[in-house]
Amino acid sequence: MDPRNHAGERCRSPHQAQTRHEAGVGGPEEAEVAQTLAMCGGLGTDVVADFTAALGAGSVITDPVRLRSYECDGLTGYRQVPGLVVLPGDAGQVGAAVRLCARHGLPFVARGAGTGLSGGALPVAEGVVISLQRLRRILSVDPLDRRAVLEPGVTNLDVTRAAAPYGLYYAPDPSSQQVCTVGGNVAENSGGAHCLKYGFTTNHVLELEVVLADGSVVILGGPTGEQCGPDLRGVFVGSEGTLGIVTKITVRLLRTPESVRTLLADFGSVHAAGDTVSDIVAAGIVPAAVEMMDALAVEAVEQAVAAGYTVGTPAALVVELDGPAEEVATQFEQVRRICERRGCTRLHVATGEADRARIWKGRKAAFAAVGRISPDYFVQDGVVPRTQLGEALDRIAAMGADAGLRVANVFHAGDGNLHPLVLYDADAGEHERAEKLSREIAELCVELGGSLSGEHGIGTDKACSMPRMFGEEDLAVMRRVRAAFDPDGRCNPGKLLPTPRLCGERPGPFRPHPLEAAGGIERL
Amino acid sequence: MTGSMTVLRPTGLATAREAMLGTAGRLVISGAGTAPDWGGPLGAVDAVLDTTGLAGVVRHNPGDMTISVLAGTPLRPLQDVLAGHGQRVALDAARVRRGATVGGLVATGDAGPSALAFGTLRDLVIGAIVVLSDGTVSRSGSHVIKNVAGYDLTKLLHGCFGTLGLLVEVILRLHPVPPATRTVAVGCPLEGAARLCRSVLDGPCEPVAVEWCDGRLLVRLEGTERGVASRAQRLADLLAAPVLDEGDAEAAWARHAEIVDRRGDGAAVLRVGLPPSRLPGVVASLGASAVTAGPATGVATLRLPPEAVAAAHAAVYAAGGTSMLRHRPAGCDAPAWGPPPAALPVLASVRRALDPDGRLGPGRFSPWMDADLDGPR
Repeated sequence: MDPRNHAGERCRSPHQAQTRHEAGVGGPEEAEVAQTLAMCGGLGTDVVADFTAALGAGSVITDPVRLRSYECDGLTGYRQVPGLVVLPGDAGQVGAAVRLCARHGLPFVARGAGTGLSGGALPVAEGVVISLQRLRRILSVDPLDRRAVLEPGVTNLDVTRAAAPYGLYYAPDPSSQQVCTVGGNVAENSGGAHCLKYGFTTNHVLELEVVLADGSVVILGGPTGEQCGPDLRGVFVGSEGTLGIVTKITVRLLRTPESVRTLLADFGSVHAAGDTVSDIVAAGIVPAAVEMMDALAVEAVEQAVAAGYTVGTPAALVVELDGPAEEVATQFEQVRRICERRGCTRLHVATGEADRARIWKGRKAAFAAVGRISPDYFVQDGVVPRTQLGEALDRIAAMGADAGLRVANVFHAGDGNLHPLVLYDADAGEHERAEKLSREIAELCVELGGSLSGEHGIGTDKACSMPRMFGEEDLAVMRRVRAAFDPDGRCNPGKLLPTPRLCGERPGPFRPHPLEAAGGIERL
Repeated sequence: MTGSMTVLRPTGLATAREAMLGTAGRLVISGAGTAPDWGGPLGAVDAVLDTTGLAGVVRHNPGDMTISVLAGTPLRPLQDVLAGHGQRVALDAARVRRGATVGGLVATGDAGPSALAFGTLRDLVIGAIVVLSDGTVSRSGSHVIKNVAGYDLTKLLHGCFGTLGLLVEVILRLHPVPPATRTVAVGCPLEGAARLCRSVLDGPCEPVAVEWCDGRLLVRLEGTERGVASRAQRLADLLAAPVLDEGDAEAAWARHAEIVDRRGDGAAVLRVGLPPSRLPGVVASLGASAVTAGPATGVATLRLPPEAVAAAHAAVYAAGGTSMLRHRPAGCDAPAWGPPPAALPVLASVRRALDPDGRLGPGRFSPWMDADLDGPR
């Protein structure tokens, strides 16, 4: 099994190409290199014997070739062959595996489907990958209380499939929802296209059963929104596997909306499309989704899946409303009028479910499609305040021009979550320039008052950029919280927080938040 | 607390940090004082950290529908300001009427009926600046609603009862003020209310609040004029009940808030959260003299004789719920919280990490936290 084959959104990177070259392509040479790697990172036979005794031989992977299929997640630029992979079959075995890691002082990395885009599931050398792929039972669906209890390896879309017979669904819908797991969604606080209205994973998780680094099991959260004590569930969601491993998840289910209407509108500029979004929001409408693509992204999508977008349009906007029929009908008319007032050059209202699915297919295929118009690309995930969208896009265009690289923009316009795709050709020696541009775009988002990441997570990818967004004290407090859960730092080390090993002794300088610079807020 | 208690009243981040560092002893953080006896009884403290000087809007971004305010800002006047922009903080906790501050509402994890649609403040707070007891200033989040960079520390402050740090500034996500609101009311006992609530939720009307109090089920709808009028009629037909006129609707919800908020008569007030389907049965068994209950949220507020509190905690816990004392009448020594949760070791560990000397809000999580953790002996 190669989990990478299931990645929903991923980008090829030159690292990948390099690794292929270094390892040779196929044949004994590859196995040899892999074996060497495994021996370097491999664990002692006594350790392996302990895991085998606890979990069974069929749940422990030591074969170097098989270990290699766990060397990266959806961000293939970072690779590390783990010392050991274990595949526990239930929560008890996850606890047993974690306790063995504790006994042997080993770091461990939890892994779902491996679709993450920030290297959050990157293995640790001489560490253990704990795959949750076998914990894929839906333990209960309760239509009365509208909740489902799941094991972490259940895929996102399977929750909705299980709830659908009751007229219910699970709201968070990351693009990789067919394959990504709910456990991974909890780790990353995954969003999706509909989170402007419905929120993120954190807003839909009620209770978590978690195995802490010492092997103890705790329940975080509770049956209702009523909390008794600080929201530990809330801090765990989005902690990228650094606070523990979730083994059971209770999620809220929502009633399937009565009506869903979707339109696709073309605009003469990304600014006009952005202004349209602002007008929609100013009219007091909270769309279920507002997505934007620029000319380059549209071109890629149409080449790949022919979803009915207009090739050549400078900007395409997808707006979706859902809810009670009367509300949707009224507000949909308002949205149409706003689009027309802002001079949309074409307005297509989805004619039915098939047409709507086609529009979404185009949007959700964007990342993969970009792979067809460029040999390599980096994807960023920064967020800017919605009102800064125009400024951000202008600056990104200028930065791309300066770097001599094309940037395709596909983004969640409603919540300002950009997904700029930096296109480049590694074979033409553009890799370093592209990586720099990509990082600078993420940091630009911070400068504009936003965030390094809206949904992909910090992981390995952006850990060294964290000091751009947070001061030393802020990061120190995060480390204190981390140590409260995992005092020895064995849970997914090297992710989320910058480390000297990863980033050098002095990771990039902290820049004051623009509000601080403007005197709006103060810092000591 | 006595009249001679030292009161520290910071007016900004710098003075907040000075206040925290300038006192060696234990502190209680106090806002408008609308929930002084929620949670465990306060232990001995050396000073009061009064947040009412930390008031005002730091930055309102109407186009982004976000606002940052100093934590001592009362929510009610803030809502008036936001209404001028057609915006609101989607929170209707009962004690907002009495001047509760944003920071106090966050620290107590308080919420009202519309939590059904909008969640609690944990779902609405998108950033914060916090001063820890050692003077550390921690900032997290920003003026964007979608943000996964770093740990979401704002969540830890929600429901911490002032034991983890001082909220100085809070960034909130805003929602539009709906053009129209209607309430449908149907007289019924609580058990029947749960059945009616089920039929409402099974339908497409998407109410923002469903609450039972005073022998009536109240169902609130929000949206466009046309949409709400038509949905309210659908609901009225379904429930064979009237759509309240504007004045009656306002009065019904004011009455609900008044019952949630009522004190006196020697009764204790217990807030409980239960799996919604368990709520009517458990509530009926507790012998409460007044009840507001959300059959859709599973959250209820009960007035109980003080001697019934311990048994109520146990019954709620046995049914898979949580409970907290919101008012302790004089002489009542009932525990503030139900049996300790499985997460208590983590809670204690987080507390030690952020307030190692146990300086803040001693006693608030008694009887869960031992004296050791609550402060130096």
